[in-house]
Amino acid sequence: MADFDPSGFELVKRGNQYEDFAVGQRWTHHWGRTITESDNVTFSAATCNWTPMHLNVEYARAHGHPDVVVNPMLVLCTVVGMSVEDLSEGGGPFLGVNQCTFHIPVYPGDTITAESVVEEMRTSASRPDTGIITWHTEARNQRGELVVDYRRTNLVAMRKAAR
Amino acid sequence: MSRPLARLTGANNYFEDFPAGRKMRHARGATIDEVENNYLSKAVDNTAQGHWNEHAVRGGPLGSGRIVFGLITGSMVIGLASQDTAENALAEVGLDKLRFVSPVHHGDTIYAYSEVLEATDAPGRDDAGLVTFKHWGVTHDGRLVFEGERTVLLKKRSHWAER
Repeated sequence: MADFDPSGFELVKRGNQYEDFAVGQRWTHHWGRTITESDNVTFSAATCNWTPMHLNVEYARAHGHPDVVVNPMLVLCTVVGMSVEDLSEGGGPFLGVNQCTFHIPVYPGDTITAESVVEEMRTSASRPDTGIITWHTEARNQRGELVVDYRRTNLVAMRKAAR
Repeated sequence: MSRPLARLTGANNYFEDFPAGRKMRHARGATIDEVENNYLSKAVDNTAQGHWNEHAVRGGPLGSGRIVFGLITGSMVIGLASQDTAENALAEVGLDKLRFVSPVHHGDTIYAYSEVLEATDAPGRDDAGLVTFKHWGVTHDGRLVFEGERTVLLKKRSHWAER
């Protein structure tokens, strides 16, 4: 390791700043995610959500579902997660979520992809290094059916202020 | 099922049990630590390393140490409220006005409170109704960290208690 010099390596940057966004701009988020039975059990158990619709397959089938219904909070967290690199990894606290609708159930094995459109953006008088952006995000399953949509608002750091 | 459905869930949390204005303090709290934030944030593809890189956020502006992903806090609050508010739900319908009021760190314990904002008939069905709750999440030291509204489609006792 004696001849290893980290200063010769260029940082591969991730995330965007306020100046990278414009109202109406569409972001097609990376990866897609197959939500597995393991994801659902781990998430539901770790968040103390033992609702049988999410964890008892016979109970879910008795209500007309083909399998357990994936905990919708896991679906929401995963959709937000896939959007983070594009929308919010550049820095700034997560302020809120409005108008979140769970349109249809997600079952283990379904694959979710997500897109967001910039709805509103404004600068902050009290924080000149930061803007506030609201995106409308939609997530669809492998058949293209709308699973969830919501509006999310974040503080977003400006490039001129970024380190 | 080897047992009637209604024997798998509580008998005191049907639609009829949630008049507007009812306030509940939920029995259990939960401490957020490695599994709840560090693992689940990564498991939902949340690439913001402030949630899981202790070194990156040491001495950060939101307090030292990893910052809990706001929707993990929200999911924990809803999980802690789930037995009392959604054990007899047919579906989670949506969320609104979620606010991440102040940062949560590893080791914080979350308690949940709920109030019934509204209970209405569900369009097109008489066996279930819509209940909108407001939930609050509070830390062990009394700090409000999360609030938000949630609407669930709840079974009516009149139609489901004997099934």
